[in-house]
Amino acid sequence: MPRVLRDFLSVGLPVVAIFALLPLVYANQLLLFNFVLFLILAQGLNAIYGFTGYLPFGYVGFFGAGAYGFALAVMHLAAPPALALLLAGLAAVLLGMILTPLLRLSGAYFAIANLAAAQAVYQVIANPALQDITKGPYGVSLASVFAPKASYGAALLILAGVLALVAWLRHGRFGLALQAGRDDPVSAAMAGIPVVSARIIAWLISALIAGLAGGVFAWHISVFYPETAFDLSTSIFAIVFTLFGGAATLSGPIAGVILLYGLYNVIGISVPQYFQLIYGALIVGLVLFLPRGLASLLQRRGIDVP
Amino acid sequence: MTAWRKWGRGLAVFAVLVASGLAGGARAENAPAEIKIGHLHAGSGPYASISMPVYDSLKLWVEQQNANGGAFVKAYGKKIPLKLISYDDQSNPGTAATLTNQLITQDKVDLLVCDSGSVLTAVSVPIAREHKMFLFDPTGTGAAFFSKDNPYIALLADPVSTVWPRYLWEFLKSDAAKLGIKRVALLYATNDFTGTQANSIRAALKEPGSPVEIVFDQGVPTSTSNYSVLIDNIAATNPDMVLELGYVGNDIAFLRNLQESGQKFKGVFTLYPGIETNVLRKNVGAQGLAGVFSYVTALGLTLKPEVGMTVEELRAAFEKAYGEGGVEFGWNAIAGHVTGLVIGETLAHADSLSQPDLHRAVFGLSGKLKTLVGTFELRDDGAQIGELTPIGQFDATGKLGVVYPSDLATAKPVLGAP
Amino acid sequence: MLLHALLGGVIYGCYFTLIGLGLNLVFGVMRIVNLAHGDVLMLGAFAAFFLFHLAGLSPFIAAPLVMVGFFLLGLPFYYLVVPRLALAKDAEMLSLILFFGVQQIIEALAAIAFGSSERSIPGRVLGIGPFHFLGQNLSRAWVIGAAIAAGAVIALYLYLYHTRSGLLTRAVMASREEALASGIAIHRISARAFAIGLALAGLAGVFAPFMLGSVTPAMGVSVNLSAFAVIIVGSLGNPLGTVAGGLIYGIGLLLMQTYFSAWADLLPNLLLIGVLLVRPTGLLGRRVRLA
Repeated sequence: MPRVLRDFLSVGLPVVAIFALLPLVYANQLLLFNFVLFLILAQGLNAIYGFTGYLPFGYVGFFGAGAYGFALAVMHLAAPPALALLLAGLAAVLLGMILTPLLRLSGAYFAIANLAAAQAVYQVIANPALQDITKGPYGVSLASVFAPKASYGAALLILAGVLALVAWLRHGRFGLALQAGRDDPVSAAMAGIPVVSARIIAWLISALIAGLAGGVFAWHISVFYPETAFDLSTSIFAIVFTLFGGAATLSGPIAGVILLYGLYNVIGISVPQYFQLIYGALIVGLVLFLPRGLASLLQRRGIDVP
Repeated sequence: MTAWRKWGRGLAVFAVLVASGLAGGARAENAPAEIKIGHLHAGSGPYASISMPVYDSLKLWVEQQNANGGAFVKAYGKKIPLKLISYDDQSNPGTAATLTNQLITQDKVDLLVCDSGSVLTAVSVPIAREHKMFLFDPTGTGAAFFSKDNPYIALLADPVSTVWPRYLWEFLKSDAAKLGIKRVALLYATNDFTGTQANSIRAALKEPGSPVEIVFDQGVPTSTSNYSVLIDNIAATNPDMVLELGYVGNDIAFLRNLQESGQKFKGVFTLYPGIETNVLRKNVGAQGLAGVFSYVTALGLTLKPEVGMTVEELRAAFEKAYGEGGVEFGWNAIAGHVTGLVIGETLAHADSLSQPDLHRAVFGLSGKLKTLVGTFELRDDGAQIGELTPIGQFDATGKLGVVYPSDLATAKPVLGAP
Repeated sequence: MLLHALLGGVIYGCYFTLIGLGLNLVFGVMRIVNLAHGDVLMLGAFAAFFLFHLAGLSPFIAAPLVMVGFFLLGLPFYYLVVPRLALAKDAEMLSLILFFGVQQIIEALAAIAFGSSERSIPGRVLGIGPFHFLGQNLSRAWVIGAAIAAGAVIALYLYLYHTRSGLLTRAVMASREEALASGIAIHRISARAFAIGLALAGLAGVFAPFMLGSVTPAMGVSVNLSAFAVIIVGSLGNPLGTVAGGLIYGIGLLLMQTYFSAWADLLPNLLLIGVLLVRPTGLLGRRVRLA
């Protein structure tokens, strides 16, 4: 069995199946939806950070572009949700193409420039001058297409697709070329790998994933403001989960989301008065004592983490 | 006005309702041990400053009820203790959404109250509707929340954004125009709350035959914290009166920069001096507020409530409970108390705790419930239209007097005040 | 109008230089993005607030107290956190997350201790009435804030270029590996730079209630966004480049407010992206970026 298929069947499919069945026994479907959403976003971030080393601090820009792409398609084109979702992905890919020159930057420069780009997109969409198009700062309401069960299902389908994609990135020719470019761009280029164009493709894939996540989020949440779609903590959460789990693996980000987002909610519900304090301390502790992520615990012992 | 006149008639209807409520309690044996009220607050982040006073005040109301053996619940014909379950959403809408769902599906609360402000309220609206839970909305005024086909929401404390500025433009077009206000500058923060108000002021002042014209009309990002260049630009258009509409931080920065700039205008109107008077006075100083026009909320009116405390009683209780804890008493603290009062009256009037009965009870209070903020009155889509916001002006000692409308006026407007 | 915007921009820009200065020094020396910078600044603001309202101390006395206090807190904090962080595979990126956690802790503690309402110090403390210059009325508090910022920049320049410790600091900035190889006590130099960074943030915080109108425990995030724009436009890792960034930021912002006010907050972000795409190392950057 090819390794792509093996990884997807052993890690990806069970996750999707569990989240498909959980609503039958657990009623807080919004919590489950947010789990699925962060599973998608963490893998999307993995596609760019794990495989190319670029850390997009403004990843939420693509997410917001997707959410507004979905909203605009519903409001102005009266598009059915499935079509609106495609347009949401397309909106994010377009934004990704516009931002391609940022890939010339590296390290913290790239991270911060990307953050500024996400803010700029937010400021344009939230500007009252665009009220007739985006409803500016007054928020959108998509009550006409509100369908929590269908949007949950759509999120699961997207998750399945994204997990398959990342499994392929890990073992496919293209993904290996990317990783070679990440580890040593000069040697990779000398070996005939088109480092730059491969990077751009990974960037657009990553944008597409966030755009789809944003679109399905808009569908599920249905009434929101620009502040909601472009909330910076969405970026930060996705990054923290991915790095904690272990980038460039399929199961690392999954474990990161389930453990950390799970803990986040447990703390928020059980000790609301010290929510932020405990979560902050938890993150500091993890970075200091487990700086290479969960996956490194196994990898150090020579175990191959899917 | 009509709302104020209904005052007397409401008293009679109210007494009848209370009496019928007392008569209808025969199912005490099935009564739950406590009534669960679910709520969200923002302990940190950008919305903490408007959310925490509401939370503290609601918590105080619940404690007071429980000190008296709980709230009277008509459905069971007796007093039952209240339990407030309030989660911290950290100003994060995504977290607010999950926690709203948590309150409904896991904690199975009897009554659901969302967080303050439109951004955090928005996420709770569709969730409440999906689960057919009636949403008690303290201050989320976004126009998109209220539609006739959604019976699962009522705005309790803040009037909808379009109601706020009505007296303002009436004042500008009548009394102020007579005093020589012809040119008005409009500067607003581009967010849901102040942007909506600016839009309706602009529309009213541009109606044909309006005696005032707008000579400066600009929106600024809500993050704006320096106004000195804007003040200079406004002065260059030579207006008689400047209207600055922003959040607390915007108004503080504007008034401080105005004081420091040395520029003088005949009249200055800003939003928050009458809404969060304590905060503004502490940050701008009584001198900085002297002569400033603002909305007069319950803080500046002495309304006699039929239910609950007066503003002064509430202020004393709030300051006793929270002291110098860094959450100032102001309009949002009053909004938290009103939220409590509406919950209390709903429990006292609802035939059962089923959500349709809660809806009926809340809408049944409309036009009848008189609290420290005036008459509680709902439009049929759930928007609050009862309270009115007269226009007031601060005098040199920092006291806010009502200058418009004339039937409420306690002072005369003075232009060119320091 | 134009003259006022330009003058105001220079003054405002000086203060924003001060906001970015400490962040840039820390990045330059340690390659650490201190996401909690804005929250340290917030703590400085609250320190000044309480020193004024409880002890009656003016900001001019609060400023040195805060700087010394933050410097002394910065040293142990460095040893507690940064050497461990350096063990990670991608320390520069991981620092973002670590300091995000630190930021959460600071904001949570501040919200519990100080409450959520807006706070400030009355403007009369810094003198009464506007300041006249070139026929323009300028806010006195702003002029003083700008003067303090200019003083801080000069002091940092003197430290970096005219003391032995400053020389070593610049050596570490140029190349951490080579500095280590030539026997420089990297951690001692870095700890000092880190503590100076915090002290500068605290100093900026002391004057924040005057420059920003009011302060709350939640203010850190927006301060950080401005500080990022300032240091990137200037030059990341070159503390003195911050001056150029701050001035461009201040003048640009106030010109935008004058001519396109509703779009004013878009400018710093466009400026940042634009500068990076044209000159990836910032306007005053010298070091060539590795491919």
